[in-house]
Amino acid sequence: MKRTCKIGSIVAIAAIMFGCKTTQQIADKETHQFRYEIEATDVGSQGTYQLKVWTYSKDANTAIEQAKKNAVHGVIFKGYAGKAGVIAGQRPLVSNPALETEREDYFKPFFTTGGRYQQFVGLANNGAIASGDRIKIGKEYKIGVVVSVNVAALRKDLETAGIIKKLGGGF
Amino acid sequence: MLVSGMTAFSQAKKPTIMIVPSDLWCNKNDFMLEYDNQGSKTKVPDYKEALQNSSELLLVISKINELMSERGFPLKNLESSLKSLANQDAEDALLTSSSSGASLSESPVDKLKKVAKADIWMQVTWTLNKTGPKTSITFNLQGLDAYTDKQIAGASGTGQPSFSAETPVLLEEAVLNHLDNFNGQLQSHFDDMMENGREVALRIRVWDSFDGDLESEYEDEELRTIIENWVADNTVQGRFSTADATERMMVFEQVRIPLYNDKGRALDTRNWADGLRKMLKSDYQIESKLMMKGLGQAQLVLGEK
Repeated sequence: MKRTCKIGSIVAIAAIMFGCKTTQQIADKETHQFRYEIEATDVGSQGTYQLKVWTYSKDANTAIEQAKKNAVHGVIFKGYAGKAGVIAGQRPLVSNPALETEREDYFKPFFTTGGRYQQFVGLANNGAIASGDRIKIGKEYKIGVVVSVNVAALRKDLETAGIIKKLGGGF
Repeated sequence: MLVSGMTAFSQAKKPTIMIVPSDLWCNKNDFMLEYDNQGSKTKVPDYKEALQNSSELLLVISKINELMSERGFPLKNLESSLKSLANQDAEDALLTSSSSGASLSESPVDKLKKVAKADIWMQVTWTLNKTGPKTSITFNLQGLDAYTDKQIAGASGTGQPSFSAETPVLLEEAVLNHLDNFNGQLQSHFDDMMENGREVALRIRVWDSFDGDLESEYEDEELRTIIENWVADNTVQGRFSTADATERMMVFEQVRIPLYNDKGRALDTRNWADGLRKMLKSDYQIESKLMMKGLGQAQLVLGEK
């Protein structure tokens, strides 16, 4: 009887472990579904964009880490609206959003946790979050993190990988 | 396959881009030259004067140049172009043939055409706004295609008002804020050019000494139809529009010429239009004179050279 209970609980734990996705996995999935918002906060220094990324997550710490990934993802695929009349919005670096699946060989390792996307993004203010930028919506948080994306280096990397063309490439 | 083969063989001519201050900016800052144009006073921007007196202009030009070079697209420099034109003028004036002592021949049209040239002009304007102690800059950057006179890219807006920032700092911020969007549009223009060819215009005129007109028939075909057919056969996917056509003139606009000729060599408007001149001479014995107006407008005058 005891033995049956033990086996039963191991099976249950395994089912929970394999059946449920981790917060990180959910956050990754949401990134690829463009479930985040980006707004410009300031004109960055030469070659950088300074952005606030709103990320949704049940875990506040995951949201902060995911914000960096979302920022790079957004600059590449989504672009962002500017602040009316003050900061210009920017177009995405790629004109074809389907490139994410077409060039999975490049983007999958690029966006894995700890992947190369980290080379092009940094947290501003040491990742400090303003009190108004941590909003609880139902069971999850919507957290606004200010980041700085090194768009010049990111663009060069994408050009080298043949994802985007150089300005005037082909001439 | 054919296109990639051609690209491997040679490259299309890379457009040259030059930054200039807009007429509005030059006028507001008194950098204008006034001359008498057949009785009416005409003002033109005096770029040399502007470059020699405005450190802000120099800063904007150099910042844009720097950012464009970073993107692998260095620009033609206005100041250097003006200097080299002046040097060329001085050299030409002193140049004489060693055997006969003859000097260089130059027509009034040649003189008129001796100006700084580029395929794309980046025209920049900015105004300083003051609201109480705050200062902000309204910035406007236009990319104008010298071939078609169309605006192909643009970026404009007003920066964040500041209590303390100096004008050069605000200007630098404005350039950083807008240049990426501008370049995005420029890239779209280049992509379109690669796919659909370069957009040019062609005018056909007739010397009054020409025996006939564009309605004259050659082998049961009117001359204007012959010309129209040649244009259709020699444009990318037959893209052009006949804007105007009478018995003495024809105007073709939005003519998309290929970037390479059938030998895989880079093609420009003059080379392309020269094909029509050669065809008219060889097939119909019609002599004509080919003239260029700007970089993207060819004019073929039928009847004689």
